[in-house]
Order: sequence, then C-alpha cells, then structure tokens
Amino acid sequence: MAKKTYDLLFKLLLIGDSGVGKTCILFRFSDDAFTTTFISTIGIDFKIKTVELRGKKIKLQIWDTAGQERFHTITTSYYRGAMGIMLVYDITNEKSFENIVKWLRNIDEHANEDVEKMILGNKCDMTDKRIVSKERGETIAREHGIRFMETSAKANINIERAFNELAEAILDKTAGKDPGDHVDRVMVDRRQQSSTSKSCCN
Amino acid sequence: MPDCNENYGSEIYEGKNLRSVKCKFCNSVILTPGTATFTTFEFQLPLIKQTKIAGANPETECVSLFWSVNDMFTFQNVGFSNTVASTKYLTCADCEAGPIGYHDIPSKMSYVALSRVRHS
Repeated sequence: MAKKTYDLLFKLLLIGDSGVGKTCILFRFSDDAFTTTFISTIGIDFKIKTVELRGKKIKLQIWDTAGQERFHTITTSYYRGAMGIMLVYDITNEKSFENIVKWLRNIDEHANEDVEKMILGNKCDMTDKRIVSKERGETIAREHGIRFMETSAKANINIERAFNELAEAILDKTAGKDPGDHVDRVMVDRRQQSSTSKSCCN
Repeated sequence: MPDCNENYGSEIYEGKNLRSVKCKFCNSVILTPGTATFTTFEFQLPLIKQTKIAGANPETECVSLFWSVNDMFTFQNVGFSNTVASTKYLTCADCEAGPIGYHDIPSKMSYVALSRVRHS
C-alpha cells in the first residue's frame, strides 16, 4: 500500500439558493454556441482540493447541493459528516440574502452542532448591480457569530482565502480535541492573496 | 489511437509519474510527482467537446495510456462527476475541463489519461 499522502481530511458543503454562484466557484471551461462540454451535461458531484496549513497537508472534499435546494430536499443525509459549511448568497439578489436565515435554521436542524460555518456574499465584482451592502452581510454574520467574506467566483476574489479560513477554523477545533496535537500560532502563508487584496471586496 | 502519437517514455520513472500532472487548460496541479502508476489498457473516453446532437450517446475516443491512482485522496486537485453507470468522470477541479479520465466505482481505482493532461 502506498503511504497516506495527507494529514487530515475535511468534508465541506456549499449551501445557498439556486443561482448564487455556488457551482461557478471558479472560472469554468467555456462552452460555445455549437458544442457543449460532456462534463457540464452530467454535472460535478464533488471536488478534492489540497491546502497546506501550519505544515499540515489537508484534503478538502467539497460537495455542492447540485440543485437539490430547489426542491427543499436538503436533509440530514446531505449534512452527514460535514465539518464545514459555506453559506452563499448573491449580493445582487435580496431574496438570496434573506434566505440565509432560513438556511441557518436548516443547518441547525440537520447538521452536526459543532459544524464550522462561514457566510459568503458572492458576485462582489458586480458593483453596479449590488443590492445587499457589505455591512448587512457583516451584521448578520456577527449576530450569528459566524465568519463572513465577500467573494467573486468569476473574478476569483477571496475564494481561496475563504476555503483556507474555513479549513483553518476546523483545524483549530480538530487540534483542540487531539491532545497529541499542539496548536501553534504560525500565520498561514497568504502571499498569494496579496494580488487580490486591492479588489472590490476588501 | 490518438494518445500513441506522443512519446511519454520520459515521463515515467520507476513506473510512476516523474513530473507533476497538470490541467492542459488552466495548469491546476492534479497529481504531484511520483504519486501515480503508469498503466495501459483500452478505454472509450468521452470527448471533452461534444456536438449537441450526440445526446445520450456521447462521442468517445479510445484512450490507452493512464496514470492509475488507488486512493482518491492522492489527488492534489480533482473533480468527480455525477455517476454514469459504474463510473465517475474526472475533471480539473479549477476550470472543470474534462473528462481527463475516470473513476471506477467497484474497484475504487482512478485513471487519468496521459493525453488529456500536461506534464511539467
């Protein structure tokens, strides 16, 4: 058997209304008018991404609700084993923001109670169509004691940082539970974020 | 077969991938060096781009050179499609280009086609 190539495995979920951009979490392979890509037809189930935090190689397994939210069928089985949840709304869509409270209730009902949550206000590149101010996002997050960030999947703003922060929060909890695992306070390397820090979201 | 036109001999070292396996389109790292085993067999892999009339019978090509991976968490970054029969197709995790290969659910083995990725 090959030796394990990672230290920790975190299961993460993306949750939110349809059309808030959960699926286009990053730039996607473009279709043109006459062809379609095979993958866009069948859809993606989950992704595996590797991040390195505090010298630990962490595998993130990221699941998308894949349209289930349209039928309000997100239940316990979807949340099972989830250690982190990205709760996404669209800053150009008031309803998707109002529904964050509903999603929080759904998470409380079905997910593990110590699941780490983060609210993302997506599409922050669309400044001219903005309806939900950044302050409102910050307020709701503060009220629920949850991390908050504005992101743009299209312009690739804060996406990587959001996943790193969520993973780090889970790592804090995991480390706390394992007595053999000391938590050191080394800052995570965020140099790659410096290029995005002058963006509209900061 | 389309993937036999290129010489991949220099990419294989002691049966493993000598260099990183990356996405052809966006350079996202799929496998780090030395983590996958070279394997040959024939498989009909759907084309990345399909003409719209293809519908339920996607156009495929025969691919025969693969990097095989027995634990899905060996991948640095990768996407898994929804299930089709006993298969999940593999994609780039960042730009979602694919299939770059497939995952066989019964055996839990994953196979990345050498012709659908870049080595660097």
